[in-house]
Amino acid sequence: MKLAYYPGCVSQSTGKEMDASTRAVCTALGIEIEELADWNCCGATHVSNELVATGLAARNMAQTDLPIMTACSICYSNLRAAEERLKEPEVLTKVNAVLDKKYRGAEVRHALDVMLEAMPEGDERIVLPLKGLLVAPYYGCLLTRPAGLYSAEFPVILETLIKRLEAEPVDFRKKTACCGGPIFMPQENAADDIAFGILSEAKRAGAEVIVTVCPLCHLMLDAKQKILEQKKGEKIGIPVLYVTQLVGIALGLGPEELGLFMNTVSPMGIVEKAYERMGNES
Amino acid sequence: MPIGVYVCHCGLNIAGVLNMEELKRFAESLPDVTVARDLQFSCSDIGQEQIQKDIAEFKLDRVVVAACSPRLHEPTFRRAISKAGLNPYMLEMANIREQCSWVHMDQPAMATEKAKDLIRMGVAKAALLRPLEPESIPVSKYVLVIGGGVAGIAAALDMADAGLHVFLVERRPTIGGYMALLTDVFPTNDCSICVLGPKMSEVFNHPDITLFTYSEVLGVEGSVGNFTVSVIKRARYVDEKLCKGCINECAGVCPVEVPSEYDFGIGKRKAIYIAYPQAVPLAATIDPKACIGCGRCEQACPAQAVRLEQEPEDIKLNVGAIIVATGWQPFDASRKEEYGFGRYRDVITTLQMERMLNASGPTKGDVVAPSTGRIADSIAFLQCVGSRDATVGNPYCSRICCMASLKNAQLVKEKYPETDITIYYIDIRACGEGYEEFYLRAQKLGINFVRSRVSRIEEVDGRLFLIFEDTQTAEIKRVHHDMAVLSVGLEPEKNAEVLGNLLGLSRRPDRFFEIAHPKMRPVEAHIDGVFIAGCASGPKEIPISIAQGSAAAAKAIKLLHKGTLELEPTSAYVDPDKCIKCKLCVDICPKKAISVKSPAYVDEAACKGCGSCAAACPVDAINMRFFSDEQILAQVRAATFEKKESPLIVAFLCNWCSYGAADLAGTSRIQYPTNARNIRVMCSARVDPSFVLEALRRGADGVLIAGCRIGECHYRDGNYQALQRVQVLKGVLEKIGLNPGRVKIVWCAASEGEIYAKDLREFIAELKAMGPVGTELKKLKNNRNEGEA
Repeated sequence: MKLAYYPGCVSQSTGKEMDASTRAVCTALGIEIEELADWNCCGATHVSNELVATGLAARNMAQTDLPIMTACSICYSNLRAAEERLKEPEVLTKVNAVLDKKYRGAEVRHALDVMLEAMPEGDERIVLPLKGLLVAPYYGCLLTRPAGLYSAEFPVILETLIKRLEAEPVDFRKKTACCGGPIFMPQENAADDIAFGILSEAKRAGAEVIVTVCPLCHLMLDAKQKILEQKKGEKIGIPVLYVTQLVGIALGLGPEELGLFMNTVSPMGIVEKAYERMGNES
Repeated sequence: MPIGVYVCHCGLNIAGVLNMEELKRFAESLPDVTVARDLQFSCSDIGQEQIQKDIAEFKLDRVVVAACSPRLHEPTFRRAISKAGLNPYMLEMANIREQCSWVHMDQPAMATEKAKDLIRMGVAKAALLRPLEPESIPVSKYVLVIGGGVAGIAAALDMADAGLHVFLVERRPTIGGYMALLTDVFPTNDCSICVLGPKMSEVFNHPDITLFTYSEVLGVEGSVGNFTVSVIKRARYVDEKLCKGCINECAGVCPVEVPSEYDFGIGKRKAIYIAYPQAVPLAATIDPKACIGCGRCEQACPAQAVRLEQEPEDIKLNVGAIIVATGWQPFDASRKEEYGFGRYRDVITTLQMERMLNASGPTKGDVVAPSTGRIADSIAFLQCVGSRDATVGNPYCSRICCMASLKNAQLVKEKYPETDITIYYIDIRACGEGYEEFYLRAQKLGINFVRSRVSRIEEVDGRLFLIFEDTQTAEIKRVHHDMAVLSVGLEPEKNAEVLGNLLGLSRRPDRFFEIAHPKMRPVEAHIDGVFIAGCASGPKEIPISIAQGSAAAAKAIKLLHKGTLELEPTSAYVDPDKCIKCKLCVDICPKKAISVKSPAYVDEAACKGCGSCAAACPVDAINMRFFSDEQILAQVRAATFEKKESPLIVAFLCNWCSYGAADLAGTSRIQYPTNARNIRVMCSARVDPSFVLEALRRGADGVLIAGCRIGECHYRDGNYQALQRVQVLKGVLEKIGLNPGRVKIVWCAASEGEIYAKDLREFIAELKAMGPVGTELKKLKNNRNEGEA
């Protein structure tokens, strides 16, 4: 499988582990990725101006004829939304008028769905099956929007992936709720309440780890977890992994490769537990 | 061909600005003109008598009246000349009042010159007029009504009572539509079936109504007055005439049970069933998808009515008119995933609530939470589910849901006064006679109202929670209810889409069938002889649906009661020798009047004379009986015969909107320059690119084409077709070295006189900047010469 890779701006800053784990997992699964040579913002910084956002996304998508993969749900959503809007001839004309390389259609994929396709059931490359690990599948809002590919309220693709790694998805009621990230700047308290609600729900559901597909969700749940615990006076202590990191662990990749040391709430406990469990079984 | 020209003073309306004596003398000088007179008031009896006298005395065979707008007095003068023995179509009017004297009041000399051109154009066209005979065709006095809901029933009964014979075709095994399934209906809370039931039997028993249930229209051919319709009557595997409707005998032994579509999933029926006890006809139907063919019903039937070998029947009907009353379908609530319909058992829809409240429904009138079977203590009604919601593609208001929820809430409250009821709404829309009072009554009964669009419903341990923002207190809340009722909106009936295509009906962006005019023609389709009633053209409550059924019936009666139909002789016709069967005309005809059966053929009953086909035909094989190519070209040549204006504009104005706008500019005395020479066409799509090229070739500096505003075309999309042609034409002009800006297309409604004047002023300024026509060619030549040198 050969794909164009769109890393997105987060790969250069708060989401380096997302980028590292994506590249590592792709190598391990034999997915050939070719980073877009001259990529720019996906459009997220201009969502209030639909045309500009569409133009930014189109400039990225026009650079390749390969399907484009991204691991970031924000980028994914923006590229997909642009792809939909560019089906309107008027939008297409306006956008192409300012592009050097013209947009002629694109296919956008999320790393989640690419990995699932590349890793059939019972794949022998899953050297560390995560048997018994209770995982909260957290979709956030953007993977499923614009609607069409997945159910917006009741998606199941993460659960399918979790099961493929032989881990166990918990019944996670807030799996498609907003993480609070978009209002974190103007309404910090409200954003904190929302994020803490999701963490508490994961705790209630008995999750040992939360898996996410979006760097903003990751930021809210992982980077802010300790601050939230202090603010609310309640211990959570659940590591939050990018889906690529979880897959990487099951493929037996090392913590360095997967950027596991960059996570705020250390996931090393669950990695060690997984190895222990495997040791006990053999 | 002796022509008489009559220049009207209109008191001082025309004579106060234009030089009448000069105009009269000018008219006399024109070829073929035998007599020219100026008349004080040509439309008066004295004026008309003078014209009639001249027709007799000078043996005139055509008449030009230079006076007011033909939109005002063309019928008057047609009548006048026809009384004198001329064919009424041998008249041409030159509009020297609304489009000349009234709009150029301060430039009498230029206005008089313009009036001369207008008269010259009128005479040139008159010379090419041909007598036309309105054709009269016999029409069928049979009418087809498609859809047996309340609108279709109202239409059928009115027409049958008035003496037309009605074929009523209904897709389901019973007529009655959704209304028959409802419990009590607002705003008086009378029992729905009690008021509809008698009408349903009346349809069944009416000698002038032939009822085809469980039947569908598969094909429609022909046009107004004479449609041929093919209908298939599906096999119900029961002899409708023999069945006594006892149903217990057969259904009692039937081993197959399936969810009943008439209870929207909360009740069950057998494979052999009657939709509900009041069904019409009261005859059983066997559902072939459910039936296992055991034959027990056949043995049990005391009337020996079961016919397992029954075949579908093909029926051909000839009708003069068609009424489309295909109704609506409920929005699929499971599409709003956040409300969990289909996942959480206690989330139901309005229609399920209607069936629960219905005494003959699946719960015999008890309102119970489906998960427990117990009477619900607290019920939430959620409004606008699938309406006013762009995320599901339905931005429109479904209009009846507020009242339906108010009504159901009242019925529950009356039956169970202790029940806690809350209606979650965006706005309560209670607009109708007695509706606001109905809303007040609900408030007095203690029903709660929360202004909110509920964001989601959660089920935790079998209990429902609504999550919402109360927008009056600005609080986010999470509240428990035993049951949630989703007020699903109305969508166009999916099964009617094919029918719409067969009939050539257009659809609005909301996907409902479009009526001919959103205000003035509420039950007419764009296709002549086809009418639309009830929810087929958008959500409507019962009284409006009935009113529309009756209105459509009245229109059909008006159309057919004489037994003959007079056709305007202004249609298109094809020269079969020239036609190359390219079918361009078939696709563009807004009335579906053209078919290509080697060669193309125009159904003159269906043609409305817009002329788009004549403009589009690549080999000029189509011409119009009125507004012919030759007549319009003659006007163009007359307008450019002598160039008295700079810039000189030839303007084509569509009869319905922009010609009306130009007239309105006159009646409003809006003043603008005299540069334009207007030619009336029925539709902007009539303007053949060759007319434009001829005008420019003969020295016009610019050509203006004015049509109705986009989306408001009198025919359908003629203005859009004109726009496309103009765009192509601009390319051609550019290629031959002319400035493409010399052709301009504008839109103005008949109410927009000021806009017409403004567009014209702007165009004049643009043309002035370009210089006289051909300036650009000279420049091109000079440049080329310089290049060579």
